[in-house]
Amino acid sequence: MPSAATPSRERALTLILPTMTAIVVLGFWQLLAKHWSIPAVILPAPSDVWQQLVAAWRELGYQACFTGAEAVVACLLSGVLGALVAAMLASSRFLRDMLYPNLVAFQLIPKIALAPLFVIWLGIDSPSRLVFSTFISFFPVAIGALTGLLGTNPNAIRLCQSLTASKSQIFRHVQVPYALPFFFSGMKVASTLSVIGIIVGEFISSKHGLGSYILLAGSRAETPRIFAALVVLCAIGLALYGIIAWCELCMQKAWRG
Amino acid sequence: MSASTQRLLLTAVRMPTVTGIAWRPVLLPVSFAALVLLAWQELTVHLHVSSMLLVPPTAIWDVLSQYWPILFAQAWPTLVNTVVGFLLAAALGITLGGAVVVSRRIEQAFWPHILMFQLIPKVAVAPLFIIWLGMGPSSRLAFAVFLSFFPIAVSAATGFRAADRTALRLCQSLTASTWQTFLNVRLPYAIPHIFAGLKVGATVAIIGVVIGEFVTAQEGLGYIIMFASSAAQTALVFAAIVLLCGIGLMLYGAVALAEWFVRRWYGAPISVGGFE
Repeated sequence: MPSAATPSRERALTLILPTMTAIVVLGFWQLLAKHWSIPAVILPAPSDVWQQLVAAWRELGYQACFTGAEAVVACLLSGVLGALVAAMLASSRFLRDMLYPNLVAFQLIPKIALAPLFVIWLGIDSPSRLVFSTFISFFPVAIGALTGLLGTNPNAIRLCQSLTASKSQIFRHVQVPYALPFFFSGMKVASTLSVIGIIVGEFISSKHGLGSYILLAGSRAETPRIFAALVVLCAIGLALYGIIAWCELCMQKAWRG
Repeated sequence: MSASTQRLLLTAVRMPTVTGIAWRPVLLPVSFAALVLLAWQELTVHLHVSSMLLVPPTAIWDVLSQYWPILFAQAWPTLVNTVVGFLLAAALGITLGGAVVVSRRIEQAFWPHILMFQLIPKVAVAPLFIIWLGMGPSSRLAFAVFLSFFPIAVSAATGFRAADRTALRLCQSLTASTWQTFLNVRLPYAIPHIFAGLKVGATVAIIGVVIGEFVTAQEGLGYIIMFASSAAQTALVFAAIVLLCGIGLMLYGAVALAEWFVRRWYGAPISVGGFE
């Protein structure tokens, strides 16, 4: 019960408990793999994965450059595209009524299934993966930013109107700052989706990148290599998320200051 | 259409009709979709776009009507895997979401890891499931459960924690058991959140099955899409995608319908809301 524990102890526990869970799970995994002699093809021990990471870091780093760079570009593109779509829909009621339901309906369908089409249209190089990844990840940004732009406090807008602010001034100084947190929560979703888009693209057709590396290692049943690549991939995903969270913090400071 | 007629038409659309249905929010998006389909049809036919790149909607319809026995036979395993995977993920996710709120310590120990799993690209794990469970449907099923479990668990836990503090305290002072409180207070408050998670989970479950079929399968719509795209039979790709969209919308609709029923069932306690 929170009342029984002091605040500082509570704070320490929120750090210690998850760390302990991670250690226990990893330790159990190591034991399971080593002492119950589960073959490394099925489940490599964490130590094996670590060895693989150390041994193949050059190759992994090389492949990660492709995946990472493409994911960053796709995330940026989806941010720009999402913001543009949101600004467009926020500016006109007609466009909003016309396009918004279609956008939402589009969100319900499994867009991943369209990936091979992008390969047909744009080839097997990075443009097809970039466009596909942007295509699946711009949507949460657009919806988030639109929610923010439309949810601006109407009193603030009315005040600005009565002070004869122009439409663009209101947009810039009232609606955009209000929408920023919403935009960034969309960007956080987009950061995970853009990595997923690149990986699926690499699964389907690519000679480079961690996705094709994982698929190749999988077809050779080299499970430790899959896990090593997964670790790198998780690092990329978390880094991208971290960058966006950091940008949000900076933006918040800039607008408040 | 000139600007003035357009404005006139728009005001006509905006006017509430006799039946009291606002037509604008329905008519506008539907007519826009129809317009896009029409433009697609006309442009692909008149510009002689190669049928390998883009086929007109009528060609997709032809493929659908011509090959529907094969397509439906392939849609069946995809549908079954998706539905079963989604149901398993829903059961697991809601159970874990409930377990997390039972104890603060469990929450502290597991919550950060679940959140982190939300952030990492889980799709990349697909080949592992094939190594573990083989090329059969069980690996795709397990992968779908794995993907759609996390959004459901996260939103269920968020919902269970969203219960009104005063209501919880009232239950305590009336000596309600933890189980009673859970069933009568926490669960009704969590229902909107749970269903939001289920809607995400439904879409993600299909994605899981399709990716599993992309990576390795000899059956299913994902397999058809891969096979047809490598043979540059774009019309067949589109036909399979149309069926996949149908499955997606059906599953989403089923969840939305279930939400409607459950909300009506639990409606009274939710709308009473405040306990002060």
